[in-house]
Amino acid sequence: MDKQIIFLVTLLVTLGVFGYTTRRFIGFFKQTRGGFPVKQLGRRFGVMMEVAIGQTKIFRRPVMGLLHALVFWGFLVILIGSIEMVIDGLFGTEKVLAFLGVVYNIIMASGDIFALVIAIAIIIFLFRRLFMNVKRFSGIEMKHISHLDANIALTIIFLLMVSLLGMNTFYLLTAAEAGHEIEGVYPVSTMLAGFIRAGSGSHFWHELNWWLHIGLIFVFANYLPYSKHFHVFMSVPNVFLSRLEPLGKIDTMESITKEVKIMMDPDLAFASPPEGAEVEEETPERFGILDVEDVSWKNYFDSLACTECGRCTSVCPANLTGKKLSPRKIVMDVRARMKEKGPGLVKNGKEYSDNRSLIRDFISEEELWACTLCNACAQECPININHPSLIMGMRRYLVMEESAAPGELNAIFSNIENNGAPWQFSPEDRMLWAEGKVEVPVMADLLAKGEKPEYLLWVGSAGAFDDRYKQVSTAFAKVLNHLGISYAVLGVEEGTSGDVARRAGNEMLFQMQALMNIEVFEGYEVKKILTCDPHAFNTFKNEYPDLGGTYKVVHHSQFLRDRIDEGKLTLNGGSLSGKKITFHDPCYLGRANNEYKAPRQVLDALPSTTLEMDRNRSFALCCGAGGGQMFKEAEKGEKEVFLERTEDALKTGADIIATACPYCMIMMTDGIKYKNKEEEMKNYDIAELVAMSLDL
Amino acid sequence: MRILVCISNVPDTTTKVKFSADNTSFDDGGVQWIINPWDELALTRAMELKEDTSNGVSRVTVVSVGPASVEPTLRKALAIGADDAIRVDGEAGDAHYVAAQLASVAGSGDFGVILCGIESSDYNGSAVGGMLSEILDVPSVSAISGLTMNGEEVTITRDIDGGKEEVSVPAPFVGVVQKGIAKEPRIAAMRGIMMARKKPLQVVPAVDAETLTETQEFAMPEPKAPCKMVEADNVKELVGLLQNEAKVL
Repeated sequence: MDKQIIFLVTLLVTLGVFGYTTRRFIGFFKQTRGGFPVKQLGRRFGVMMEVAIGQTKIFRRPVMGLLHALVFWGFLVILIGSIEMVIDGLFGTEKVLAFLGVVYNIIMASGDIFALVIAIAIIIFLFRRLFMNVKRFSGIEMKHISHLDANIALTIIFLLMVSLLGMNTFYLLTAAEAGHEIEGVYPVSTMLAGFIRAGSGSHFWHELNWWLHIGLIFVFANYLPYSKHFHVFMSVPNVFLSRLEPLGKIDTMESITKEVKIMMDPDLAFASPPEGAEVEEETPERFGILDVEDVSWKNYFDSLACTECGRCTSVCPANLTGKKLSPRKIVMDVRARMKEKGPGLVKNGKEYSDNRSLIRDFISEEELWACTLCNACAQECPININHPSLIMGMRRYLVMEESAAPGELNAIFSNIENNGAPWQFSPEDRMLWAEGKVEVPVMADLLAKGEKPEYLLWVGSAGAFDDRYKQVSTAFAKVLNHLGISYAVLGVEEGTSGDVARRAGNEMLFQMQALMNIEVFEGYEVKKILTCDPHAFNTFKNEYPDLGGTYKVVHHSQFLRDRIDEGKLTLNGGSLSGKKITFHDPCYLGRANNEYKAPRQVLDALPSTTLEMDRNRSFALCCGAGGGQMFKEAEKGEKEVFLERTEDALKTGADIIATACPYCMIMMTDGIKYKNKEEEMKNYDIAELVAMSLDL
Repeated sequence: MRILVCISNVPDTTTKVKFSADNTSFDDGGVQWIINPWDELALTRAMELKEDTSNGVSRVTVVSVGPASVEPTLRKALAIGADDAIRVDGEAGDAHYVAAQLASVAGSGDFGVILCGIESSDYNGSAVGGMLSEILDVPSVSAISGLTMNGEEVTITRDIDGGKEEVSVPAPFVGVVQKGIAKEPRIAAMRGIMMARKKPLQVVPAVDAETLTETQEFAMPEPKAPCKMVEADNVKELVGLLQNEAKVL
């Protein structure tokens, strides 16, 4: 009975502290902004089973991934034993779940084995942290306290496992001494018991280990929420609450849509309010993220679930090339800032200010502008944390509240606004790329003849104005003509998809472009859009529907693949026979939209051989041009991203680097030039390669 | 002190220039209008001066001469940060007419600094600033590439051949600015655009003023000859072309 009372008191203290902690965090959550609504529970359950329970993403690094998965699965099994211990402790029972019979035996046996496996894994983890210089564990955000935190948690887990094995071992010895029947099966502990001479102390040692184990669980449970190992509680729910949108999609700001619609209708915008009507317009809340109260509840959830493993940072193109940006730091800063400002917000309300903010006091503008929005971090995160949404939110604040984008980006904003392209070219020159090279049907001409083509071919600003990439537009148009496809371009009516403006933080400009485009598309009753540009592809496919434009959007790699599958393209002519080609995955086709196969299937149909770079498919490194980087100087670092990627390509020894995106082409062509490898390696778009092997 | 920034409404710099059938006027069909780039820099500098409260700039006003169609451009200036805008309702016939209208606005307010771009990117007349100061009978400084304030004292930097010149000038004065006055033109933030909707844009009637010039005819420049490529080792052909065609040797 005494034991039960002591146990009850301990449990109540534990729950009391835990309750306090929970209240504190709920208070912090209340300070955040609304995020997406949690719907599609079935799909969420599936994601949770796959990514959390199945540990699929952690296996992207197989060795350490396996160790983590074993620890995780072990925890799940051992958790059942811990629940049993609580029941036993409260009611004075012993092995209360033993009635489960065989199932109990399996649970106990696997728990016993897992305890040993986890203990070994923890020793390896500690060894890696203490004696191996693992790059992932360092970085500007990794302070002494972060390392200490990790080592404390690992030590507690190690002791938990030792006490569990001790408990089991002495249980066996005690039972043997007393001649009791043994409940459950304990392979590892049976072996351990063999080393210990049975003596009268067994009962004491069993009790000691039992109390040690349950005590550690209680301590651990209350230590975790204040540690990066809050992960243990938060990661599975975090995966369940994952953002389900494609990685490439950026959420639409509805407050901006309202403003843009007013803006696009000047009569409405500057109309004087009706006589006598005192219209007090409400000022919309802050655009984007300046401080921690502007982040969504999911951003904050992410920050609590993060265990600082650094997989995000280790694949970040900016970080890899020595820039200040570290996606892990962004997430950690959100948590740290809430810890700092949260109590004040809870106490004094939303208006509370401590004259500090997330931007500038925690995260510098330099970090924010270094991001290429390649989504490698979000792809890599084992628990589906979405870092880019934070970076986007902060860029949006800088641009829309402060006009504080780097000068080059302000210049492209002006260009887009004035001449409908990020480059300073007249919209009237949008058809020059085709002149004298290829016949391209124009929508307006077809409409005049009463014809409606099947596809709208979106050429894009690079397709119309970049000297190198114009050849891709030409090549693809030739292929379309060769196939006799019913298509047309918008010509001088084309603008920009708005991808760059949006990713550079100018949501207003993006929505203006998008709404104008949607209007033009409606005018021509466009149903299918075909484009060589993965950025336009992504924006039309994933982002326009929010603004009322839904189309079937096809990337040229998919289109070409389908024609090859139909047997309409036979690609054996030209000079590609015997050439070695390596394919550079565009972020906005690959990670953003999960299309890795189509371009490879096109390449496989060519008379050449295909080589893969070490980093390919979802692991592919960005070319460095996304997220507005194309139009600005790189932030300070050790190296340009495009050179890092060009080196990947050169390492394969391929003759040709195939690209499927205008930015990638501009970057890779530059990289080859920069490396003085123009003789050894050429850069072609897959459309050009197809055109070549058709002798077009 | 108040600052007045004169704004010219000009076609976007990528515009394909076309003329009316009789070649006496600019065909503005389908043209996107912007703030004259030099005026935009002047406005940017004015905003910077106002934001540093130690300068004591109380208000930045923008003014433009033209029909209602220039208002979006003035709204843009308000979105960038100007406090109020004035449109002189008249057709900007020539530099003299515009300068006279601006002088009437500038003279009616308590403006210490009146800024104009050195030229407008459409007609490139470079005359309004000088005329304005003459009509107002105040000093003017041309080709300003830097402007700082210290209380009422204004220090101006000008780029001169091989160096820089610093001058000081008593207010009120007309400053004719060129590139360099501000690092980069400021653009309107979303918040600024929303606030601009509530800022005053006052329309004043034009004063009587003569248009002293008359356009006889506009003509397009000859199209550029296509680029000729010469093989890297063909020096003879290159020299021949430079001598006989380009006539530079």
